[in-house]
Amino acid sequence: MRKILSLILAASLLLGLGSAMATESPTEIVFWHSMGGVNGEAIAKMAEDFNVAYEGKIKVTVEYQGSYDDAINKIRAAGMSALPCDVVQVYDIGSRFMIDSGWALPIQEMIDAEGYDITQIEPNIAAYYTIDGKLYSMPFNSSTPLLYYNKTAFEEVGLDPDVAPKNFDEIVEMAEKLTVKDADGKVTRYGFGMGNYGWFFEQWMGKMGLHYVDNNNGRGADPATKVVFDETGGAEAIFGVWKRMIDEGIITYLGRGNNDAKAAFISKNIAITLESTAALKSLLVNVGDEFEIGTGYFPNIHPDDEGGVSIGGGSLWMLASGNDEKQNAAWEFVKYMISPDVQAFWNAQTGYFPITVATHDLDAFKDNLAQYPQFGTAIDQLHSTAPQYAGALLSVFPEARALVETYTERLINGELDIAATVTNLAKEINSAIEIYNLTN
Amino acid sequence: MSLTDSLKARTTKPRVPGKRGIYAVMEPYLFLLPAFVVFGLFLFYPFGRTIFLSTFLTDKLGNARVFWGVRNYTDLFTSSSFWASVGVTFQFVAIVAFGGLLIGLATSLLTAKKYPGVTFASASYAMPVAIASAAASMAFRMILHPTNGLLNILFGTQINWTGDPRWALFSVSMLTIWLASGINFIFISAGLRGVPDEMYESASIDGAGYWRRLFSITLPSISPTLFFQIIINIIGAFQSFSQIRLLTQGGPGDATNVIVYAIYRDAFFNFRFGTAAARSIILFAIVLVITLIQFSFEKRSVHY
Repeated sequence: MRKILSLILAASLLLGLGSAMATESPTEIVFWHSMGGVNGEAIAKMAEDFNVAYEGKIKVTVEYQGSYDDAINKIRAAGMSALPCDVVQVYDIGSRFMIDSGWALPIQEMIDAEGYDITQIEPNIAAYYTIDGKLYSMPFNSSTPLLYYNKTAFEEVGLDPDVAPKNFDEIVEMAEKLTVKDADGKVTRYGFGMGNYGWFFEQWMGKMGLHYVDNNNGRGADPATKVVFDETGGAEAIFGVWKRMIDEGIITYLGRGNNDAKAAFISKNIAITLESTAALKSLLVNVGDEFEIGTGYFPNIHPDDEGGVSIGGGSLWMLASGNDEKQNAAWEFVKYMISPDVQAFWNAQTGYFPITVATHDLDAFKDNLAQYPQFGTAIDQLHSTAPQYAGALLSVFPEARALVETYTERLINGELDIAATVTNLAKEINSAIEIYNLTN
Repeated sequence: MSLTDSLKARTTKPRVPGKRGIYAVMEPYLFLLPAFVVFGLFLFYPFGRTIFLSTFLTDKLGNARVFWGVRNYTDLFTSSSFWASVGVTFQFVAIVAFGGLLIGLATSLLTAKKYPGVTFASASYAMPVAIASAAASMAFRMILHPTNGLLNILFGTQINWTGDPRWALFSVSMLTIWLASGINFIFISAGLRGVPDEMYESASIDGAGYWRRLFSITLPSISPTLFFQIIINIIGAFQSFSQIRLLTQGGPGDATNVIVYAIYRDAFFNFRFGTAAARSIILFAIVLVITLIQFSFEKRSVHY
């Protein structure tokens, strides 16, 4: 009997030891991201390095979730029962949704608890994710729109290849010179071309120094209740540019989103285009030695506009699991992902901004900038923008952006005139906002 | 005991209360139970739930929040965008259903006779069956590109295939017809094999030419196959999604915004499940009516 008892005791001791050892095994966290291709490989490498650096303490598992839309939808679907991950990459326009969802753990809480030095982060980038004085998510892959132009074509028609157009008057003027027609009068090269991308609409509002929605551009304590671009003349000005370009035959319609415009630029069918800074690397690789790429600031609507661009891209959101150990591990991971060395690697691999100021002093970053001086334009543009043009926050942004694209098409197809486009667009977005605010 | 005897024994058994009696009553339902469970779970419950949701406004998680009565429906019926979407759907379905059938019929008639290379031709005509619509759409994006697409280069045109409202629906339909042509080809070819040679021989003796034989013998003989294929094409066309998602996203304007795509946008992009549910119910009603029309048509024109 005694033997059996002592055996049981020994066994329970062993079990106790076992469980004690288990607590020393690394804290496992899951990271969801939406970076495919080369960018996804970079993420995998960064996570691998993190696991090596924190061996025995934290182990992060990286899971690719498809597009930004897919990732946020999966969070939404899973959010009703259990949160599926500890850190998730969410796109810029998903920010208001994440705040409203109540699942997010504001990064500010971790910053305050630790006394983390927030000044390390680019102020213009942090501004976008700061709502009501609180940083909600950690900027990670940030980009702004840029103007790209074909320097070789500029030289060909006698334009100065070092001077990029600054506004649409200049674009139209240059585009007329850059347009090439064949013997039959068919255009083989347009001077200018851009995708029908709702993001640009938002950026131009910022460039004009105007708000997109009310309640301090959706950044107040209360969420936005309606759009204001129909009252300030902002939308009218932007649609005016589209209409003028199409009617005068300066551009041809290149579809929604950016892909077709990008392909047309690479194949020399358009000489000037608008794209994200994040496309720089892939443009350089795809164009190769075919022609030289120049970069300029995102163009103004009016020559005297004094606003600025806001950032797009994604940020890292921590989810409130209630498990301190996991949350602390997730915070370590977030800090690692934005550390200067990692950001220099990320910038070189992708073309996204390094979001940590200290990255600018690293040789890896300087070498990359020397190799691709075009990237300097993006940084200058960001630094010349005041944080007050951080851009709007809106719960129904994905829908609003899609509506902007649909109405742009209705305008250029001649279904609606400019005034009707603005009125109907505002009406539809307002009703979406109203229903969202009513049900959430 | 023969089968009829056992049936007789069962039917003549008196329905007395007791174990065996209850079992006899329950027995058929027990056999039906697995089917009911599956249908209930995957058809009836979702259907009921859709009707329920269509009378509500939902929050961002899809929970019913605000009772909205029939307003989801009336909002749709008074929206010009919804009617545009219905109109586009009918055009698209008609083009795809008959276009797919015509291509399938033409290709299967071309390969009905034996000649060198017929196997290769048959394989090529059947191939779209094996092509995923998403992959084909990505390829067509490049083929239809407005400035450097293959199609414009071949024809020497400058048509904006997916960006011009006059061409967008046509482009998407052509892609869908091509994708559907493979299955049409396979079924119609099989139908053609089933037409007895004697009928053609007898018609030839009577002096009937190719077209006469086609319209008087071939088409009536394969009418059940054609009818089946039209139904399959219509169902397929109503369900078309990936080519619209990838090529036009419903645009330009509402030019290719078919109902299924509009449902997707409402439910999984705008997160208004109420409106999406109302659209689904309307789509259900439309498909129901079309099916009823088809079957009444079948009785008159299809020869078995």
